Amino acid sequence: MSTITADQAEKIKEIVCEILEIDEAELTEESLFADDHGADSLRSIEILAALEKEFGLVIDQAELSRMVNLKGVYDVVQDAAAAR
Amino acid sequence: MSQRVVLTGCGVVSSIGTGAEEFGAALRAGRSGARPITAFATEGFERTNGCEVVGFDPARWVRNQPLRELGRASQFAVAAARMAVEDAGLDVEVLQRSRTLVSVGTTDGESHDLDRLVQTDIAQGPEHFDPVLAARVPAGRLSAGIARELGLVDVEAVTIPTACAAGNYAIGYGFDAVRAGEVDFAFCGGADAMCRKTFAGFYRVGTIAPDRCQPFDSDRKGILTGEGAGILLLESLESALARGARIYAELLGYGLNCDAFHQVAPNEGSVAEAMRLALENAGVQPHEVDFISAHGTGTKANDVTEARAIRRVFGDHTPRTISIKSMLGHTMGAASGLGAIACALAIVNRMIPPTINHVKTDPECDVDCVPNNAIEADVRIVQNNGLAFGGNNAVVILGKYEEALA
Repeated sequence: MSTITADQAEKIKEIVCEILEIDEAELTEESLFADDHGADSLRSIEILAALEKEFGLVIDQAELSRMVNLKGVYDVVQDAAAAR
Repeated sequence: MSQRVVLTGCGVVSSIGTGAEEFGAALRAGRSGARPITAFATEGFERTNGCEVVGFDPARWVRNQPLRELGRASQFAVAAARMAVEDAGLDVEVLQRSRTLVSVGTTDGESHDLDRLVQTDIAQGPEHFDPVLAARVPAGRLSAGIARELGLVDVEAVTIPTACAAGNYAIGYGFDAVRAGEVDFAFCGGADAMCRKTFAGFYRVGTIAPDRCQPFDSDRKGILTGEGAGILLLESLESALARGARIYAELLGYGLNCDAFHQVAPNEGSVAEAMRLALENAGVQPHEVDFISAHGTGTKANDVTEARAIRRVFGDHTPRTISIKSMLGHTMGAASGLGAIACALAIVNRMIPPTINHVKTDPECDVDCVPNNAIEADVRIVQNNGLAFGGNNAVVILGKYEEALA
């Protein structure tokens, strides 16, 4: 898988919004989980765990530093899928 | 009327030794309890070390109730309580005629049994639950098991579930009850057994170390989960003197608070405040503390926050700050019970236990953690820290017993 599909991107957005407890309209590709949406480290790990489960991936926890916004999450999921 | 409160019996079940004598020797030697986990299946986890109690024979300690009716944590608690009675040279019949308190702190209670029930539920359905196993689960069984074993009738038995600071909460409660003259003897401390749920939870948040626990080290990688029990027998000084008991230490005071700041992140300000409350309650000045037995889990977050909080309170007089979790792993609710006993043994044995597995102190922690080797010291006053998720902080202060009031 070289890039994520539109369906996958939509699913990722849905997961992130559910964990951050926000409306999908509030989240853009660039808005920051911590600064703009009040996320903390536990929420970030919840997102990571939910993505692993949904897509059957293993994501290194070091990747959390890249998973600061939706764009970052797309990249990490893409890389993890490519490495599978 | 306020009584002086002394510790006259210690009960220890741990991965590095059973009973006060063996535990004291292990602390001095800097023994490690780390080994591959066998309590539950670890397939799928890349890191699989823990600090398990091996070779524990519950039948040696549990005599007055069916062994099968006690989960592993309750067995640890009962064994430690029995050891404490024997260690204190106390006649059980005298105990049965006395007003007593049993207060046991725990994080997980019998979650190991819950793990197994959930497995049954998933594999076969709840109608296949083993009823004996299900009956072991309520956390109240930890303290009730002790009362039942010793035949205590004029007793209040409570289990205090304030997670990883629970042992100190339970000791604080016992201290108050004896100090106020409400009970003659108090069994207090903590107990926990390893379980998959807690291991997996800590694992998921990235806090399980690969093979060893290195508190305050630059290269620390997290905790190892552990298990065991530490039960203290407290009584008034008057009672101890009247029966010619050996006195390990005097309990001087405690402090606790809960900031509810975050589910898992410790708050520096309120950790410092808990220490101040304890010192004030004990009538001790910071510069009088000879060493601190830190919560010292070996995670990035705990050690730096705790060290900073200690600096806030002690400033230039920051005493040596050690973590016995380097040896025992994180025994959860038992941790501060075992910690308090370690403090008392340090006083009696005139030594400060080491922080093992230490290579290089993290400059952000900046404490003298007594790396790798115990040191001889005339220890008079010791502070035992217990910090827990949810911002539950509890700190106990112990002192060398001296006839005149300090």
